[in-house]
Amino acid sequence: MAKTRERKPRGGQKVLSHGRQRVLVVLFVPRDERDGTTPIDQQRWVDSSLEMFGRVFGGATAYPKAKGIWRDDERGGALVKDEPMVVHCYTTPGDIQDDGNLSEVGSFCRKMGSEARQGEIGLVVGDEYFAIRNFGEG
Amino acid sequence: MKTQLDMDRIAKGLGVERGGKVTAGGGYFGAMQLLADIEARFRVPSGGGRPTDPGWTERRLLPLAPRTLKRLEEIAAKVREHGGANLEPMQLAALLLEKATEKLSEEDADELTRPKRRASH
Repeated sequence: MAKTRERKPRGGQKVLSHGRQRVLVVLFVPRDERDGTTPIDQQRWVDSSLEMFGRVFGGATAYPKAKGIWRDDERGGALVKDEPMVVHCYTTPGDIQDDGNLSEVGSFCRKMGSEARQGEIGLVVGDEYFAIRNFGEG
Repeated sequence: MKTQLDMDRIAKGLGVERGGKVTAGGGYFGAMQLLADIEARFRVPSGGGRPTDPGWTERRLLPLAPRTLKRLEEIAAKVREHGGANLEPMQLAALLLEKATEKLSEEDADELTRPKRRASH
């Protein structure tokens, strides 16, 4: 039977004083409006989302432009090409299931969807994709 | 242990209806998730040294095919090029192994231990 060896941190100190943050939240910040041609102020929305995630969950990281496509079923299935920026935020199961935090994230997504004239705002929590479309309730 | 989230509660809190599950196995999104994972988890040990995940306290020898090691080296080099952590090939292997193990359900694990049916003659 193999021996089990446990590596102890130096100095007998705990390496981590907090629980590990393991729930990944991903927000897609679009480049264009729903028509696929009118640019939005993408950098402003990236900065705003970073501030929101920082305030609510303690931090986030925005990644450079990705290439994306979205099928707009309300416009005859028109394919809208986009170059979204992707914002990643790690949080805890407790914080992501907090009603106040969820309300703030939801409100931000609806505000961005409404003001940036989007058909849908994509938010991934853990392994589930949430398509936010009802912007009127922001 | 994988954390169970109450997705109905999250959907209600966000004010949306549930969509569907996503997987981030490969491609740009998978790579970005990997980078984010490294960034969020790797820490410089209190006694100094290379950044690592403090939860990785066990060490084992892992036999590898040369092509697998080469692939790990290539991907780790790309992560370093793109400003990720100073990731070593075997740290990448540990991260990928952890992800694959977490995705394996109890049923999958049971399936592995189930005796194979022999072909009848």
